[in-house]
Amino acid sequence: MSEKEMKHLIKEFLKEIKSKLPDWLKYKKEDKEILAELEEHIWIKAEELSETGQPTLETVQMAISHMGSPQSIAKEYKRRGIPKVYITQEMWPLYLKVLGIVFAIVIGITLISQILDFIFGNVDFWQLFGNIFQGIQIGCLSTFAIITIIFVVLSMEGYFPEDFKSKKIREKEKQQIELAREQGIPISEIKERPVKPYIKPIGVIIGGLIAIIIGIFFIVQPIPAITSLINLKFLIYLKFAGLFMLVEGILDLSRGLIGNRQFFTHQILHGITIGVKLASISVVILMMMRPEIFPILIVNEPGDNIINIGIAPEYYAIFRGIAGLIIALIVLTTIEDFYRIYKAEKYKFLK
Amino acid sequence: MELKKVIKRVKELDSNALIATKEFREYVEKQETEINRGISSLCILSILIQAGEDGLHGYKILKDLRVQTNDMLVIEEGTLYPILRKLEDDNIIESKREELGRKRKFYRVTDYGKKIFNHLAGFYSKLTEAIGHLYDINVNLKAEKYLFCPMCANKIELSNLELRFCDVCGNNIEKELKERGLRNE
Repeated sequence: MSEKEMKHLIKEFLKEIKSKLPDWLKYKKEDKEILAELEEHIWIKAEELSETGQPTLETVQMAISHMGSPQSIAKEYKRRGIPKVYITQEMWPLYLKVLGIVFAIVIGITLISQILDFIFGNVDFWQLFGNIFQGIQIGCLSTFAIITIIFVVLSMEGYFPEDFKSKKIREKEKQQIELAREQGIPISEIKERPVKPYIKPIGVIIGGLIAIIIGIFFIVQPIPAITSLINLKFLIYLKFAGLFMLVEGILDLSRGLIGNRQFFTHQILHGITIGVKLASISVVILMMMRPEIFPILIVNEPGDNIINIGIAPEYYAIFRGIAGLIIALIVLTTIEDFYRIYKAEKYKFLK
Repeated sequence: MELKKVIKRVKELDSNALIATKEFREYVEKQETEINRGISSLCILSILIQAGEDGLHGYKILKDLRVQTNDMLVIEEGTLYPILRKLEDDNIIESKREELGRKRKFYRVTDYGKKIFNHLAGFYSKLTEAIGHLYDINVNLKAEKYLFCPMCANKIELSNLELRFCDVCGNNIEKELKERGLRNE
């Protein structure tokens, strides 16, 4: 039997294995090395099985039969990860992350499209409410089903999250972990990445200082030429707003100065911040109720005096809408404070 | 002996044997595969540790495995390489290609892999000792050669007389060494 026939037999066997190997191995271009190693194994085995020490077609066939089926070999490469409800434990955090992002996009698109419909008068308030609920429900359910199926298939194929990253990125992450270990920075067991610092002190300090300056400006109201044009009640509201900004600024500055330590103090400061933020909503509500005293300062011609034209009554609804939006934003930022209180708990453990 | 070989032999002898029935065979094969899967990586590591720094190529690993387990632990030859790849991915073994007539990939256990092996081997040894009486068998843990950490069951070679702590859990093992007369009071 010719060597050509033996090579052909091995080639066909390896070709079948290759077709069944998981795609992540092919992306990493590791399939060639795997097949080369299997081929080498078959040749050695065929030589050993042969009485003369030279492989024959029969011994090659026998060697191939000892290898196991292409399916069982390929299946073994797919057997990666620890099973967790059909999706492997390794893929689980990525699955939740993708679900979170896609749900946020679905909710965002539904809200924006329905609110635009409402603004342009295509739907009334109750239709808006119903459409938002229906849109979110259908969108989230269908994306949940699709994403779950994709992740179950990926888990069955033995994918790991790192298989979606290039070799360069994987190397970089490996170096970051080694560097973090040398510097004593804790490594997150879930993300397998060095834990990010709890806060970036410089950014927080700058933000705090800006809030303090604006707060003092609102309280002191140092330009009489302007304040004389504004309604006295509004100036009082502004002083209260300034006071809240000043307190928030001081709290931010304190957190920045504390830096990445004393996490219990961070939690207390965030707790106080939540209280201050919620209290500041009262000032926005007061302003919202009195659109007629809100100042709009303009200069008609260069060199002319500044005049306060106020808000025209037909824009009161828009004014109230903007104020409502500001209240919503304040509430949203308190959610971040709650999250940071929760996050500080983890850092306490790490430190 | 590998079940498939047993089945083949039984079939030749008696086609009505229990082991030839589909239900029995499938159940036993499944259970055997589960048992083998758990211990095959450990046995491969053991073979590679014996080979030392030079390491072994895939074919030799299988051959040594057959010989040293009296043909009991038989891995389908093609499935050895995915196991080796997983061990390499986990930094337990490392490989390098060497030109010895034919281009061959040689595997050796890393220092980290040795610690993993000692720990798992310790756990497995203690487990087999503990469950031995369930099968009415005795397991000799070679107490004169090894100490099994009382805290984590890590397998510690007693030839290293400098040892004071378990290198996996950090437990002070001097008391155990004194009890065996390997340390002065």
